[in-house]
Amino acid sequence: MLKKRISLLLIAALLVFATAGLAYAEDLDELIAAAQKEGKLVVYATTSRINLAAEAFQAKYGIEVEAHRLSETELIERVYQEARAGVNAVDIVLIEDYPSVKELLINTGYLVNYVPPVAKEYVPAEYHDPLVFAYISRIIGYNTEAFESDPFDSIWDLTTPEFRGRVMIRDLAITGEHQNAFTELIRRSDELEADYLRRFGEPLQLREENAGLEFLRRLVENDIILMTSDTRIAEAVGQKGQENPPVGFFYVYSKHRDIPQKDLALDYSSNIKPFLGYYYGMYIQLAAKANNPNAAKLFANYLMTPEGYEPWSSEVGFYSMNPEVPPYPGDMPWEWWKERLWTYDPDFAIEHRGIVLDAWLRAVVN
Amino acid sequence: MNLRAISGKIRRNLNPQTILSVIFIVILGYVVVVPLGVMIQETFTVHPMERFQIPGSLPGDFTTHHWWRTFVSPSAYSFFYKPLINTLIISTSIAIVSLVIGGGLAWLIVRTDLPFKKFLSNLATVPYIMPSWAMSLAWITLFKNPRIGGSQGLFQYLTGITLPDWFSYGLFPIIICLSLHYFPFGFMLIAGALRNIDSQLEESAELLGASRAQILRRIVFPIVMPVIFSTFLLTFSRGLGTFGTPSFLGGPVRTYVLSTMLHANLVGQRPGIGYLVALVMILMGALILYMDHKMLGARKSFVTISGKSGRSGLTKLGKAKVPITIIVTAFLLAVTVVPFTVLALESLMLIPGNYSLSNLSLHYWIGPPSQNIGVGSGEPGILKNTAILKALGNSIKLGVVVSVICGVAGMLIGYTVVRTRGTFFSKLLDQMAFLPYLMPSIAFGSIFLALFAVQRGPIPSLYGTFTLLVIACVVKYLPFSSRAGIGAMMQIGPELEEAATMAGAGWITRMRKIILPLQKSSFFSGLLLPFISAMRELSLVVLLVTPGTQVATAITLRYTDRGWYPYTNAVMVLIVLAVLVTTYISRKLMGTDLAKGIGG
Repeated sequence: MLKKRISLLLIAALLVFATAGLAYAEDLDELIAAAQKEGKLVVYATTSRINLAAEAFQAKYGIEVEAHRLSETELIERVYQEARAGVNAVDIVLIEDYPSVKELLINTGYLVNYVPPVAKEYVPAEYHDPLVFAYISRIIGYNTEAFESDPFDSIWDLTTPEFRGRVMIRDLAITGEHQNAFTELIRRSDELEADYLRRFGEPLQLREENAGLEFLRRLVENDIILMTSDTRIAEAVGQKGQENPPVGFFYVYSKHRDIPQKDLALDYSSNIKPFLGYYYGMYIQLAAKANNPNAAKLFANYLMTPEGYEPWSSEVGFYSMNPEVPPYPGDMPWEWWKERLWTYDPDFAIEHRGIVLDAWLRAVVN
Repeated sequence: MNLRAISGKIRRNLNPQTILSVIFIVILGYVVVVPLGVMIQETFTVHPMERFQIPGSLPGDFTTHHWWRTFVSPSAYSFFYKPLINTLIISTSIAIVSLVIGGGLAWLIVRTDLPFKKFLSNLATVPYIMPSWAMSLAWITLFKNPRIGGSQGLFQYLTGITLPDWFSYGLFPIIICLSLHYFPFGFMLIAGALRNIDSQLEESAELLGASRAQILRRIVFPIVMPVIFSTFLLTFSRGLGTFGTPSFLGGPVRTYVLSTMLHANLVGQRPGIGYLVALVMILMGALILYMDHKMLGARKSFVTISGKSGRSGLTKLGKAKVPITIIVTAFLLAVTVVPFTVLALESLMLIPGNYSLSNLSLHYWIGPPSQNIGVGSGEPGILKNTAILKALGNSIKLGVVVSVICGVAGMLIGYTVVRTRGTFFSKLLDQMAFLPYLMPSIAFGSIFLALFAVQRGPIPSLYGTFTLLVIACVVKYLPFSSRAGIGAMMQIGPELEEAATMAGAGWITRMRKIILPLQKSSFFSGLLLPFISAMRELSLVVLLVTPGTQVATAITLRYTDRGWYPYTNAVMVLIVLAVLVTTYISRKLMGTDLAKGIGG
């Protein structure tokens, strides 16, 4: 009975898939034909795996791709300056820090959103504008040699003397996503305050305007260590044989892929409250004045397929919103993470991140 | 005066040097004075990301908010005053330390019977040739402590001693590293001045019964004093604008200086505050120029071609000779060979921090891209990395193009300034060509970004072009070559040219047949310093390079950010080697002398 029902469902699914596939294939054929008449596609991205995707795309469609890997601030600055200068060098970007992107590049008309056929077909509409290539998680990690079990119960633990001079974070001044994430801490100050009360049994004494900024200040005043890259944080935290290893705050979870190769003793905190970290989107956007608009569209489509996503598919901390992309078995499913991570509201973030950066610089300058 | 008279007057004055001076003043005006105006304007403008902190404003609106925030607001201490204080401490300290080390060395080498003078004085110029942050890379490799986690420093590996934070990071190592980079500067200037003291002065004083102390106090000091003061100011001004070292060594303990604050604000999309910080740095530079000028009256080149005979006045070191020789040699080797060796060694260690022989590897030089070994996942060895090789090629191209343009322009400026001496134009040109020297490098880079990012009048946007890098470097290093040019032209009287003119030679012929041959060595000396500077430049280009115009130094910064030190170190070794070889060859072939370009 059950078996029968499943097979019926499967047949139904296949039917839907097949008819949908037809319309999609038609759109795609036109796109391929138009794309192949254009020149060399130029991509800027914040992920180094873009090179693998570019090579595979080139092999598949015979369209030459020039991919550049840039840091998130560099990428925004570069697209901004080029667009202002009228240099139309880039066709498509994989970009982070949506609030800045929206303010500097989308509102100004330099970048436009595009929903490729495959995304229209399979990806839920809520991820269409801006088109989510993947969500990325940032977590709080510790050394498993020094701590036999998860040392954290609350994020306020990081502001206690036990972790003085031991918390590493990527410098907020060069990390737009951190600034965005902290605006969420401002927005949800009540939850932070409640958690402080839960953890220490006494109410939080505020010196800043709200619990979010208070947390930021206490975190910094606990002699925080600024780093320039998440790679270095993961290595520093996870290196074996350390007496008193640092802990990593808000670094990209995908760095845990290096654990076997670098022989690290590293895990993320899964008990810490009220959040395990935060997530943010990496978005696909097209240049408004792209030299190769069709090739850009085709590449966008390709990246959204399971095939195009391949370079990222066996990576922890990267989550495609295309249900056709099988989740990586070495990681918890996206639904699990989504419940436990915070993210931010782009409109609230853009208006308040200046306040975050101010508070950061005030506290951090030594 | 009628029209004919005016045009006649113009025609009479229309000699090559006047035309040249006008051309140079117009060009320098555009690339030096206009950027200043643009920057000031930017400090009063609301930029896209700033509008949320300025209620009711739109991008492009006029505002005084940035000034308030930087100088008056509750955040002003962190945004401006504290970094300013740190900057002043660093600049003052490195000026003093460089002066003491450089001056001491100069005295030992020029005025005493110290042996191996030639070798030692060559060695003493090497730290200046190396990129300033090569020293800080070596410092981290040697002296890092567990604060930044990861592998341990060489010192800790060998001794087991954990160094305190203040020793490993922050003001102390910044001052040490920058002083060790800039002392050759003091050495070259002061040695030049000491050489130029006519020994007859001292001999006469001695005959008249003056004591050694009296001679020092009454003759040597008054002559050398302006140079000492000038050295102090110039080293100080270099300290203001340097970015790499404070960024690298200050970060772990959160020590900010003006240059790192400027950088943080510009990458953080807050150009209002960023440019304001830059403006303060430039004002400080201008103030130093003014003080230097006041101090010296008319600025002269200290390092003139010397030929003073009679080294009879050499102080005998006596019993101290052997220990001093050993100390000086050991010190100079320690600040040249040690950093270089540490960098080279680090680039050969597969797993950083493990110094066993089995860990030796050429992976970071010629290894294939690998996800399984080495620190950089998927990164090929630098000699197999097309991006790195292209960046190195760009660096060399930049060095060559910049030095040739600088060399030619410097000589023409020298010619113009000297031949129109005493006129207003001569002074103005002299000053304007020297001004970029005092502008902090990173501020200078940011002005160029502001000036050339968009089309202005007939000048198209140069953002992302190689030309922009060339222009920025040429203007920034022009002081080196114009100093050399002026210094050299002073030595050539106008008689030769006058004679040639009488014989019917045109301007081009005169330049080709008289000036150029006489100036050959100075000309190439004027080339050398811009070449070296462009090759090892970071602060100036860090904001201007793009993937297409990437240069070697900037690419190492990207490696450093990701913690891929072995790659950084390998690239550094290549840059230093390239510069050393060029310096050596040009000295052998053209008889160039580095010191000629550094006159105050």
